[in-house]
Amino acid sequence: MKFSRKSLGIPYLVFLVLFVVLPLIVLFWYAFTDGTGHFTMTNFTGFFTDPNALGTLLYSFAIAAVTTAVCLLLAYPTAYFLATSRLKSKSVIVMIFVMPMWINFSLRITALKEVLTVIEGNLAMHPFLNSVIGMTYDFLPFMILPIYTTISRLDGALTEAAMDLGADPRTTFLTVTLPLSVPGIISGVSMVFLPAMTNYVVLDMLYNSTYIMGSLIGSYFAAYNWNGGSMIALILLAIICLFTLLTGDDGEADAQRGGALL
Amino acid sequence: MAKTSERKYTPQLSGSRKSGRTGHAGRTFAIGLVAALTAGLLSGTALTAKTVSASSVPEVTLRVCNWEEYIDTGDWDEDETIHLPDGDIIGKQSMVKDFEDWYLKTYGVKVNVEYSTFGTNEDLYNMLTLGDVYDVVCPSDYMFMKLMSEDALVPLSDSFFDTSNPDNYYINGVSPYIRDIFDTKSIGGETWSKYAAGYMWGVTGVVYNPKAVTEDEASTWTLFDNPKFRRRITIKDNVRDSYFMAVGALKSELLTSGSFLQNPDYSQNLENEMNDTSSEMIKEVQSYLQNSGKADMITGKVLANYQWSGDAVYTMDQADEDNFELDFAVPKESTNIYFDGWVMLKKGINGDAGKQKAAEAFINFLSRPDNAIRNMYYIGYTSVISGGESPLIYEYLEDRYGAKDGDADTVPYDVNYFFSKGGTGDYVLTVPKEQTKRQLFAQYPDGSTIARSSIMVYFDQAQNRAINQMWVNVRCFNIKKTPWWGRILTAAALAGLVYLAVRKIRTGREEKRHRAAQDLRKAP
Repeated sequence: MKFSRKSLGIPYLVFLVLFVVLPLIVLFWYAFTDGTGHFTMTNFTGFFTDPNALGTLLYSFAIAAVTTAVCLLLAYPTAYFLATSRLKSKSVIVMIFVMPMWINFSLRITALKEVLTVIEGNLAMHPFLNSVIGMTYDFLPFMILPIYTTISRLDGALTEAAMDLGADPRTTFLTVTLPLSVPGIISGVSMVFLPAMTNYVVLDMLYNSTYIMGSLIGSYFAAYNWNGGSMIALILLAIICLFTLLTGDDGEADAQRGGALL
Repeated sequence: MAKTSERKYTPQLSGSRKSGRTGHAGRTFAIGLVAALTAGLLSGTALTAKTVSASSVPEVTLRVCNWEEYIDTGDWDEDETIHLPDGDIIGKQSMVKDFEDWYLKTYGVKVNVEYSTFGTNEDLYNMLTLGDVYDVVCPSDYMFMKLMSEDALVPLSDSFFDTSNPDNYYINGVSPYIRDIFDTKSIGGETWSKYAAGYMWGVTGVVYNPKAVTEDEASTWTLFDNPKFRRRITIKDNVRDSYFMAVGALKSELLTSGSFLQNPDYSQNLENEMNDTSSEMIKEVQSYLQNSGKADMITGKVLANYQWSGDAVYTMDQADEDNFELDFAVPKESTNIYFDGWVMLKKGINGDAGKQKAAEAFINFLSRPDNAIRNMYYIGYTSVISGGESPLIYEYLEDRYGAKDGDADTVPYDVNYFFSKGGTGDYVLTVPKEQTKRQLFAQYPDGSTIARSSIMVYFDQAQNRAINQMWVNVRCFNIKKTPWWGRILTAAALAGLVYLAVRKIRTGREEKRHRAAQDLRKAP
């Protein structure tokens, strides 16, 4: 057998088929069948007629949207100043931001819980707020990093040119830097928004007993309703696909447009 | 055929494991892998040719699935040794390893225990349905009732109940109280004891901080809607326990009324009331859990916590180590008594007599009084074993809870219901008074508590669905309750998405046109 570079991909291909494609097929199978294995659409229609499921979707969206907004507000200025500053030890500072990610997730949230208890007293009084704080704490690095990378890769000549042509710093930022950093923002948003919709462990640990998408799926499985649970997972998948399609290569297009400005 | 191929397959794998220890790890792993793959891909017939007996000792594999942290894993410190008049008890190596050694010594058969764990009864059931195969598992009462009704279990053999065999530690040592329950509770006309051998048992109750909650306040289901402790009490995050709690709270008055208590059929009536799954009751439970923010109680800064007694013991032990007192109370209305039992699965045992013998021996080994003590000490739960002829378990109780010289405030504590047949005997401990509301009470509730305990039966599919739906209703944010600003924001977000989509499609078209124009320009 001749060895070609293509065969380097075989291990991953095997992995892909075994652990990605096959489970997906199983997921589809369960989602479109009833308990006895007959084709049905009731799981699908059931989701959109169930006020609980829709309410959970809305609640998850709300948590994810607020988390993303807070992350963005915190991350953008940080990333901007970090990327544009002339600090020598930049990599050290970036490392400090990334460092929480090296600590075990549940340990991090437990520590946060202690801090919040000192500040708030009884945590159970503010379930929504706590969830947003927890998620922000957890996902912030995922927002900072892509924005930081995008901004630090920007061609400095562009801002210089804008200044030369008489733009004040504010105009320069709004018309040059900000549009050019949109790809970073988009990848940051998709890295925060989507996990925030399903990460129910944070809610569990921070005393929010309301279900979000992840816990709703879990409850269906605990009630042996794999068909309904699979359908919710599938709908979530569809939402994520839609989201990615909508924002996907938009960034590239924007970058091209930015480039075309020259 | 299936039977023999299974047994011949086992020695090969374990043989390779043994030589793995001598240093040919890589090669043996490969051999093991090949063996496993062949076994998985081809049917048993292909194997027979390959089978070589690795050693002269017959071997059998036992696949056990138990609750997480529900067995002694050994490695005790020397000073943890429990000194009892009839011998010292210490867990040097894990219970499973001890069983393997004991089985080889007693029956001359090498048993390889493949031990795995599950987190909830529902998890276990899902694992079994998804095709995991185990020989012996340890679900709770309602779950083994479900498995019984689905005809998934192998009945315990007659020899398991042979009291003349001293190695039958279960039947010779099980508490008469527990045995009576297993002999009388039934489903589909078959008693529990036909399929299940008890392991641990307990009641549900409340662990509370006596500095903030009084004993009276804690000793009732209505604790959970006491406005004084709003959002400071936790309940169990599962539908069955929450349901039981809510039913108890809703029926508090009925359950404590004189006419109900004095009814000759009290026990049966209590069980019926506590297992009320009428649609009206489910509705009431839902509004009970929803209206006064009960759903939030699942969480909160904790003053009191609804728990299984075994976990309660563990919690109090931990608190004691931190010099912090927690007490245990059982609601005066009723309590949920539960049993975890060992059952053998048809799919796993598969008619293999050697396997079944090992499975039953495993249950017996765990039931040996010293082993029951090791497990109790390690996990905090209460073994179903009272010891029979052996005094060890009672000695352990005396050692652990009995009053020491110099204790001023001591009271008698009657545990006859558990230790003696008919409940009449001299099993009365003398204990410090505080133990009547602490670990001892949680581990061995007194007779009056036991009298107001009810099992929670296995609900059929329709009941289950209704209760699960109720739980989802409690836990989910209902879209109909969205406030006006929420509706506006949602509409705005949806509009934004539509805008994005439209723009996306447009820019896509523009680009295409742009590209086409460029192509035109390039082409001369």
